[in-house]
Amino acid sequence: MVQTILSRLSTSLLVIFGASVLVYCIMYLLPGDPVLLMLDPSSATPEMIENLRVQLGLDQPFYIQFANYFGDMLRGDFGKSMINSDPVLPKILEHFPATLALTALSSIIAITIGITLGVLSAIHRNGVIDFVARLVGLFGISMPTFWTGILLILLFSVQLGWFPAMGSDGFSSLVLPAATLGLVGAGFIVRMVRNSMLEVINEPFIVALRAKGLSERAIMYGHALRNALIPAVTVIGMLIGDLLAGTVVVETVFSRQGIGRIIADALMAKDLPVVQGVVFFTSIIYVVLNLLVDISYSYIDPRVRRAVRT
Amino acid sequence: MNRSISWMKYMALAAVLVMVLSGCGATGGSTNSTAQASGGGQAGQAEGGNLTFALATSPDTLDPHRSGLAVTVRAIRTIYDNLVVQLPDGSIKPWLATEWSVSEDGKSYTFKLREGVKFHDGTPFNAEAVKYNLDRVIDPATKAANSLALIRPYSSSEVIDEYTIKVNLESPSQAFLGNLSQALLGIVSPTAAQKYGDQLGKNPVGTGPYTFVKWDENADIVVAKNKDYNWGPETVENKAAPHVDTITFKIVPEEATRIGSVQSSQVLAAETVPPQNIAALKNDPNQQLLQANTVGLPYTLFFNLRKAPWDDVKVRQAIQSAVDVESIVKTLYLGNYERAWSALSPGILGYNASLEGSINPDINKANQLLDEQGWVKGADGIRAKDGQKLTLRYVDGSPNREKRNDIAAIIQQQLKQVGIAVEVEITKDIATVIYQNWDYDLYGNSQVNSDPNALYAFYHTSAEGERPTLSGLSDPKIDELLEQGAVESDADKRVEIYNQIQQYLIEQAVILPTYVFPYTVAASKKVEGIKFDSLGYPLFNDVRIQP
Repeated sequence: MVQTILSRLSTSLLVIFGASVLVYCIMYLLPGDPVLLMLDPSSATPEMIENLRVQLGLDQPFYIQFANYFGDMLRGDFGKSMINSDPVLPKILEHFPATLALTALSSIIAITIGITLGVLSAIHRNGVIDFVARLVGLFGISMPTFWTGILLILLFSVQLGWFPAMGSDGFSSLVLPAATLGLVGAGFIVRMVRNSMLEVINEPFIVALRAKGLSERAIMYGHALRNALIPAVTVIGMLIGDLLAGTVVVETVFSRQGIGRIIADALMAKDLPVVQGVVFFTSIIYVVLNLLVDISYSYIDPRVRRAVRT
Repeated sequence: MNRSISWMKYMALAAVLVMVLSGCGATGGSTNSTAQASGGGQAGQAEGGNLTFALATSPDTLDPHRSGLAVTVRAIRTIYDNLVVQLPDGSIKPWLATEWSVSEDGKSYTFKLREGVKFHDGTPFNAEAVKYNLDRVIDPATKAANSLALIRPYSSSEVIDEYTIKVNLESPSQAFLGNLSQALLGIVSPTAAQKYGDQLGKNPVGTGPYTFVKWDENADIVVAKNKDYNWGPETVENKAAPHVDTITFKIVPEEATRIGSVQSSQVLAAETVPPQNIAALKNDPNQQLLQANTVGLPYTLFFNLRKAPWDDVKVRQAIQSAVDVESIVKTLYLGNYERAWSALSPGILGYNASLEGSINPDINKANQLLDEQGWVKGADGIRAKDGQKLTLRYVDGSPNREKRNDIAAIIQQQLKQVGIAVEVEITKDIATVIYQNWDYDLYGNSQVNSDPNALYAFYHTSAEGERPTLSGLSDPKIDELLEQGAVESDADKRVEIYNQIQQYLIEQAVILPTYVFPYTVAASKKVEGIKFDSLGYPLFNDVRIQP
C-alpha cells in the first residue's frame, strides 16, 4: 500500500510540473500584451510601456522567463501580481480556506443527496421517488450554475430573507453557494448511482442472496450498494475537482472570496504569476483527490486491496 | 428528442417561477420619484452607523496615482483630498489649496495651502508633501497609470515656504487646474508612500474624511470616519467629520446579486443598477434611486479614418444617416439613458447644445450618398465598388458592459438595410486589436473627464512615433483649435473653440455619439445625503442613516 502511494506521489509530481509548464506556455502564447493591459492604452507613452516591460522581465526570451519563474517557485517564491504587486503565495493561502469550505460543503450536499436519491430511485424504479430523483438529476445537470445561483438568491434571500445574498462571513453565507454547487454535483451522482445500482440489482449474486433468505434491506444496503459505489466513487472524485472549478462562477455570483474569483480576475488581466500560482495549487488538490479515490477503492472493494498487495 | 422536450418544460417551469418571484417584489404600490442627487439639507440628526455600499467591480488599487479604474474613485474619494475642487458649473474652488495665482505666461501656478491639515498617519500636510505627490506621479518608478495623463504638462515644483508651492508646467494648460481636482491626483501621505512603496494601494493614507481600515480582497473595503476632518470642499454641506462611523464597500460583480442584496436589506446601497431593474426599484416603497450623468466623452463610436472607404466623408455621413441612435438607446436602456448628440457630454464646459436634434435617421439620404459614391447594391443586397464589398468591421471590447454588444448587433441590422455588411468582433484584447494593429472600422469608447481638453487625445493629429488616435483624424484646422482650446484663458473664447470642434466632428461624421452613461445608485430610504461630484462620482460626507 505504502509503495503504491509513493509511486503514485512521484507520478503526481510530474503531473504538477507538466500542468505548470502547459499553463505557462498557454499564457505566454495568448495574444495580448500584459503591459498594455496594465497601462491605460490611451495615455501610456511607448517609453513607459518599454520601461515597465523591462522591469517585469518580459523583454527576456521565453526560456529564461520560464527558468526564472520555475526556479523562484521551487524556493517558495511565487512572485508578485503584475496588477497590484501583491505577493502571490500569501494571497493564495489567504483565499484557499474559503474555497475549500465551499467545495467541502457542496461535496457533502452533492454526495448526500446524490447517493440517497440514487439508491432510492433504483429501488423504487418508476415510482414517485424515482421521478423526483430523475427530476433533481436533470435539473442539476442542465441548469447553468449562475442561473441556479440567481434563482436561489431570488427565493431564499430577496423573498424569504433566510440567507444572505452574498458575502463570505460565517456559515449562513455559505449555504446558498454550497447548495448551488451541490445541486449540480447531486445531479451527476444521482444518475450514476441509479444506473449502477440497477445494474447490480440484476446480477446473479443478488438472486443468490435472496435465495439464501437475506432481508431485502440487508441485500440492498449491505451488498448491492457496496458494489454500486465503485463506479460512483470515481465519478465523485472527478466531481469534486469539477466543484473546485465551479467555484469560479459561484464565487462571482455570490461575491465570495476565494481562489475562483482570484483566477477569474487574473485571467482577465493576464496576470501570469497569479494564474500560475493558482494552477499549481489546484493541480496539487486534483492529484491528492485522485490518490484518495484510488485508496478508497481498496476499502470498498476487497478485490482491489488484494490486487494491490500482490 | 424526448429529453429535449422535457428539458424545455423544466426551463419553462423555472422561468415562470422567476417571473412570479420578481413580480412579487415589484408590487409595492406607493409612488416614488427618482431623486436627482438627493438634497440632504433637511436630513435628520442621525449620527453613526455603518453604510454598506455594493460596488460593481473590485478596485485595482487604492493608490490613486496607480489606479486605472473608475470604480476605484468611488472608494478613494473617501480617503484622499485634492488641492482644488470643481463645481458642476466647471468653476474651480479651494480645497487643500486655499488660493492660487497663475503666472503671465500661464506656465506656473502658485498655491497657498491650508494650514493645520494632517494626514491620517499624523504626517503634516504642507508644500513638501504636495511637491512629493506631484513628483511621484511623473516618477516612472511609481508606475503611474491614468494620473500621469491628468498631470501633463507638469514639469516641476518649488517649495516657496511651508505652505506655499509653485508648480511649473512645460506649456500652458487650461485643463491642468481642473485635472488637479480629480481623485486620481489625490494627495497621499509622503511618509506612507515611502514606507509602503508599491504596497501603498493596500495601505492607503490621505487627508480625506474617512480613514482606511481594511481591504479584504474581492470581499470588502472598510473606511472609518476621520474625527479630525474639517476641510470639506464646496461640493458637500458637511465640511467636518462625516456623520456615519464607517462605510463598507462590498464588491458584488453579479448584477442580480447586487440588486438582490439591496432588496433584501443586506446592503443599504448598490451602484450601477441595470436599466431593466430601474422601474421595479422606483416602485419599491423601501428604495430610492439616485442618478447622476457622468461627464466627459459619452459612449462614442469612432470611425477609423485611416482606412478606406471610411476616409470618405460621404460614406461616413451615409452611415450617420442610416443608424437610428434614438431607437437603439430607447430599446436597450428603456428610456433610462440619455442619447448623446456630440463628442462631449452635457454638463461639461463648452458642450455644444445646438447639436441636439441635428442628426436624424434618413434611409433615403443614406442610400443616395452611397449611390453617389459609386457603391452599387449587388445581388446579395450588399453594396460593392470595383469588386470590393462594403464591409464595416465593428470591434467591441467589453463583455456586454452597458449592453454595448447589443448596440453592435442593432447597428449591424440597421446597416444591412442600406446594403452595408457589418462584421462584429467582440474581444477582450483591445490592446492588440485596436491599439497595436488598428484593425477596426468602428470602435466605441467613453471617458470620464472634467475638461473639454479631453478631446485632444482623440482628435489631434498624433505626433511622429506617438500612438495614433482612435479616430485617426488629421485636420490642421482642428489641430489648431485643439491647441488653442488647451491654453485659452478666456472662458467665452474657450467655449466658442470647443463648440466649433464639436460642430465639425458631427458635420464631418467622424463619430457616432451614442449614449450618456448615468451613474445609478439604488439605496434604502433610510440613507440620506449621498451626493455626486461634477464627474458623477458619489460623495459620502453628508450621508446619514436614519434608524
